[in-house]
Amino acid sequence: MKRLVATFAVTAASLLAQWGGELRFCLRSDPKTFNPLLVDDEASETVRYLTGGVLIRVNRLTQKLEPELATSWKISRQGRAIAFQLRRGLSFSDGTPFTAEDVAYTMHALMDPALHSPTGDSFRSAPGDVETTVQAPDRITIVFPAPVAGLDRLFDQVAILSSRSPKKEAATLGPFVVTHYTPGTDLVLERNPRYWKTDAGGRRLPYLDRIHLDIQQNREIELLRFTRGEVHLINTIDAELFSRLVKQDPAMAQDAGPSLESEMMWFNQNPSAPLPDYEKAWFRSQNFRRALSSAINRADICRIVYYGHAQPAAGPISPANRFWFNAALKPHAFDPKDALARLQRDGFRFENGALRDRDGHLVEFSLITNSGNQAREHMAAMIQQDLAAIGIKLNIVTLDFRSLIERITQTFRYEACLLGFTNYDLDPSSQMNVWLSSAENHQWYPNQKIPATPWEAEIDRLMHAQAAAVDTTKRKSDFDKVQEIVSDQAPFLYLVTKDSLSAVSPKLRNVQPAMIRPETYWNAEYLALAPAQLARSAR
Amino acid sequence: MWIRRIFRHLAAFVITILIAGLLGATLVRFGPGFESDEQELDPRLNAHSVQALRQSHAAEQHLPAFYIHYLGHMIQGDLGVSRSLERPVTELLSERAPVTLRLMLYGIASGWLLGLALAVPAVLVRAPAYDLASTALSGVFLCVPTAVVALALFFANGPVRFAIGLLIFPKVFRYARNVLADAYTQPHVLAARARGLSPASIFFRQVSLWAAPQLLTLAGVSIGIAFGAAIPIEVLCDFPGIGQLAWTAALARDLPVLVSLTILVAVFTQIANAASDLAVSVCTRERA
Repeated sequence: MKRLVATFAVTAASLLAQWGGELRFCLRSDPKTFNPLLVDDEASETVRYLTGGVLIRVNRLTQKLEPELATSWKISRQGRAIAFQLRRGLSFSDGTPFTAEDVAYTMHALMDPALHSPTGDSFRSAPGDVETTVQAPDRITIVFPAPVAGLDRLFDQVAILSSRSPKKEAATLGPFVVTHYTPGTDLVLERNPRYWKTDAGGRRLPYLDRIHLDIQQNREIELLRFTRGEVHLINTIDAELFSRLVKQDPAMAQDAGPSLESEMMWFNQNPSAPLPDYEKAWFRSQNFRRALSSAINRADICRIVYYGHAQPAAGPISPANRFWFNAALKPHAFDPKDALARLQRDGFRFENGALRDRDGHLVEFSLITNSGNQAREHMAAMIQQDLAAIGIKLNIVTLDFRSLIERITQTFRYEACLLGFTNYDLDPSSQMNVWLSSAENHQWYPNQKIPATPWEAEIDRLMHAQAAAVDTTKRKSDFDKVQEIVSDQAPFLYLVTKDSLSAVSPKLRNVQPAMIRPETYWNAEYLALAPAQLARSAR
Repeated sequence: MWIRRIFRHLAAFVITILIAGLLGATLVRFGPGFESDEQELDPRLNAHSVQALRQSHAAEQHLPAFYIHYLGHMIQGDLGVSRSLERPVTELLSERAPVTLRLMLYGIASGWLLGLALAVPAVLVRAPAYDLASTALSGVFLCVPTAVVALALFFANGPVRFAIGLLIFPKVFRYARNVLADAYTQPHVLAARARGLSPASIFFRQVSLWAAPQLLTLAGVSIGIAFGAAIPIEVLCDFPGIGQLAWTAALARDLPVLVSLTILVAVFTQIANAASDLAVSVCTRERA
């Protein structure tokens, strides 16, 4: 049904669309790189998305894979190999023809271990080189050293480079090309005259002549410029600014429902952390973690901090991720009585409004979070109030992001941390470096030599099993179990899943906000401006 | 004698700059978060890439070696590569310096014009109502942070580039008014008035000349004030200048950028102070 609606929308859009004009919106920082293989920041990702051509694209609305530069593909050898049939007669923006040699060149460059590309690392499930076999100018097979889970989906992030163009990465296959960049000020992307896609009427896309990206760090100013009509969209907007916009002009405020971003807190369970032993014992206790989870009122956080544009989170996968979300899981219910009962099972005593452990230590610890994130600071204050109700004294410490990262990844000088993680991909294999006990991003106790607990050993086993399986039903079943263990053991206390919020001018046509990045301009080639706006652009 | 004096000043100049750079580098290097990178939290990166990321700035870990290496390259015009923006620091500075200089220029010029425009009538007219109104006006702007003034101007669609002027004018006004008022009480000014010289002649030939050294000293200081104010204005109002670069670099613990900026500010301040001292000595000699 979704696909039908999307197809209808695209067809209708093409019939109603106006040609030309300049779309304006803001980037929050300068792009760190124009090399699509090295992208690791949001601004560079935007440029890659708008300029790069990929073999396969994840439709942001349906979450299904769609052919782009490849017309078809087939995965074989238990997920180690993928064969592509490519479109014929396409060329890069500079006129260089597109062939299978370009795909081979891109994959070898991407998988160079010295490059340390986040996109490349997603494909690297074992050491070894990637092999490419070009059977014909339009056929290629790529073989990886070990099976790669969700292999085809990963190609959504791989912008194909030209192996022959003297312009290197400036030669692109996407709808736009970078034509002008003033560092710190703006970036202009012009229509790629050789873009291969056409609309239902046979006209060559994109509809827009250019996209003007202003570099604007201040979100208040971005909103002000949006309301003044100086920019046409805000791709992601904070809940507070969004609620302000709703009051001003509800038609421009778009809530696409739950996003892939969630907020959570965790306790430092690292045995080498410079913390008193009794605190480490609290944090290692499942009862303690579950009790605190039950003491936090998630619904209030959604209502007050996110103005209703969030929902209580049950686990690592958001409901926005339709296939991998475990619908059987429910968020831990707010129940301070149950919280106290669980704590009593571990010998904690609630006396005179304060909680003490079995040795009489007052339960007091600090929660670190990054400064400057107002929603997170408000959330920490609400958690502080909730925990005070069961006698726990929580001290909030806000740190700048670098200091916080140093504490959670190197010095381990913290007790609990409140942070959010962004899922870059729908497939759970992209979270291997979070769930494996040996991983760097296994935040509550990273880099374990052997799993510290039986449940972590079980998560390791299940994550390896799902990554090795080809059958998606088996993978789903394994990852559902991982989600259940995480919910039961609560190493991360998942708090809220934020909604995907954006602001879109009514002058902009064909926008279909989605919950996956890039939320509003994922169909950039179909975006068009209203006629009045076109006249202004022309002037 | 002159050569030795110039040499002594130059040596003090160089030593001050070297010490400023070293202090800046030490603060950044030993500040919290220097050895971490936001990318480390990217779950797509494997352990090798995270290690490589940590090793990529190994050259900056050993401070004396880094600083000597930095100075060696600085002499050749190479200020290194920004850790966060991954571009040569010289490029970043040359792109952004005009924005900050323009902002400072507008700010200093407007601040001085407004300050003097209010101070001179206050001394010449000596009307209590005017004095009260101008003092209250300058008091208001003295209390409000420049960043707030800048944001207010921005949201009102006003000229943000004059925000620094609104920070500088109260200081100029109060100082200039006091200095000029003091000048009018000097014996030679009283004598000139007794001799029946015109008010304009007294103001330009006696009062201004007497007040010039003090005002020139304030002019030197106002350059430093303007640069300090440019940082929050550029950050809040998204002006791509040196101030915004400094803020971004501080958040990213970008050692090459921060050391270069520290040295640049030290050079700038030294030159401004030297120019101010020179002007003061010329004026004093003239006055004598």
